[in-house]
Amino acid sequence: MDKIVAEKLSLYYGPKLALSDISIRIAERQITALIGPSGCGKSTFLRCLNRMNDTIPGTRVQGQVLLAGQDIYTPGTDVVELRRRVGMVFQRPNPFPQSIYDNVAFGPRVLGLARHVDLHSIVEQSLRGASLWDEVKDDLRQDALALSLGQQQRLCIARVIAGKPEVILMDEPASALDPIATLKIEDLMHELVKDYTIVIVTHNMQQAARVSDYTAFFMLGKNQVGTLIEYAATRTIFTVPHDKRTEDYITGRYG
Amino acid sequence: MLRETFERQMQHLEDEVLVLGSMVEKAILDSVEALRQRDVSASQRIIAADSLVNEKRFAIEDGVLVLIATQQPMARDLRTLAAMLEIATELERMGDYAKGISKINLMLGEGPLIKPLIDIPRMAEKACDMLHRSLDAFVRQDVALARAIPKEDDIVDALYNQVYRELMTCIIADPSMLEKANYLLWVAHNLERAADRVTNICERVVFTATGELGELDTHMERAGTEPGK
Repeated sequence: MDKIVAEKLSLYYGPKLALSDISIRIAERQITALIGPSGCGKSTFLRCLNRMNDTIPGTRVQGQVLLAGQDIYTPGTDVVELRRRVGMVFQRPNPFPQSIYDNVAFGPRVLGLARHVDLHSIVEQSLRGASLWDEVKDDLRQDALALSLGQQQRLCIARVIAGKPEVILMDEPASALDPIATLKIEDLMHELVKDYTIVIVTHNMQQAARVSDYTAFFMLGKNQVGTLIEYAATRTIFTVPHDKRTEDYITGRYG
Repeated sequence: MLRETFERQMQHLEDEVLVLGSMVEKAILDSVEALRQRDVSASQRIIAADSLVNEKRFAIEDGVLVLIATQQPMARDLRTLAAMLEIATELERMGDYAKGISKINLMLGEGPLIKPLIDIPRMAEKACDMLHRSLDAFVRQDVALARAIPKEDDIVDALYNQVYRELMTCIIADPSMLEKANYLLWVAHNLERAADRVTNICERVVFTATGELGELDTHMERAGTEPGK
């Protein structure tokens, strides 16, 4: 079942076309990896999925992005609600300079989710869901910035989960982390995907090969415009890619 | 072109596979020639040289594993390395057949063979020709050739059936020939198996080039109870 469907999605920064005609169907409760060389538009595409590009002046989008069948670019769309449903984790962990507890409770408080349910249980469930609970449960009042980078990233994931999203977008979530913290994030992704649809941008092809069910390869096409070259099951992309350009990239012969 | 070091390492491994192929080809032809000439010392040399075949096979296996571990090969590179592991194993087993034929020459003891060898050397030549071209197909990634070679297995099977019938006739005519005839039957059987293994190599060539894993047609289906496959 498709959770997100992009139909002929193009994106302009002012007059410049940055992404051209991207059509892709992202499967529900699967991990989809977006790979490709720097500047190929994969992060830009990711940010189209919860309209993060709206915050950049002069950005214009053509085509459609359907989330569970609804076009998220329809005028009148509640963008705050959209970003709750489609949460995002960034390259550098970005916890608020507050306690662990307040970081996770932030979303539920702002969104009013905690009015009728126990905020404590949301915090605990979210921290458990992010595989962080056992490491922090004894001192939830601790400053989030005192955690290791890997823990901070899992805290950011807990913060996203607390908003009860449907989709989690991850923009190079492990690129600032050491190998052990990276593997913890990857294991966590395998847990999260039981409940959420995950789309991850990664520069690390082995990571894409390890964690994802589907892989989309982007590169700059004609006129230096971000283009989707090939999209298939991850095992296909990494063993028998169909497009020569994909093969050259994943075997390290691109460029 | 990026990854020059990796390319060089891959090339080196491919060369090693070809060297191993040549060693095995020579061992098979020499083992049959030693048998034909009843040259016991030549057979002993072939038996001793089998350890070099084994060492070469392990060296290839080790080289492949090091590249997989250190270079994270993908797609065609990964398929090529996986194929090299399989091909090296097939070649090593074919080397064992040459060793087996050489041992039979020792076991046959003194005296002439019960019949002149005609079809057995033909089997060896045909099997080695198929082997040689299958490795050419691997190097050139020639899928058409790799699909064509296994069909020639029919020729080897037909020769094997011919040898089988002749040896059975010998045994029926003179039951005291049973042991010596049986030894020669084993020689023919080893050569028939060697040709079968060429088909496995061809399957790996198709896999490397296309990603398709599957069995190749070895011949037209025939009715009957011939001992050859």
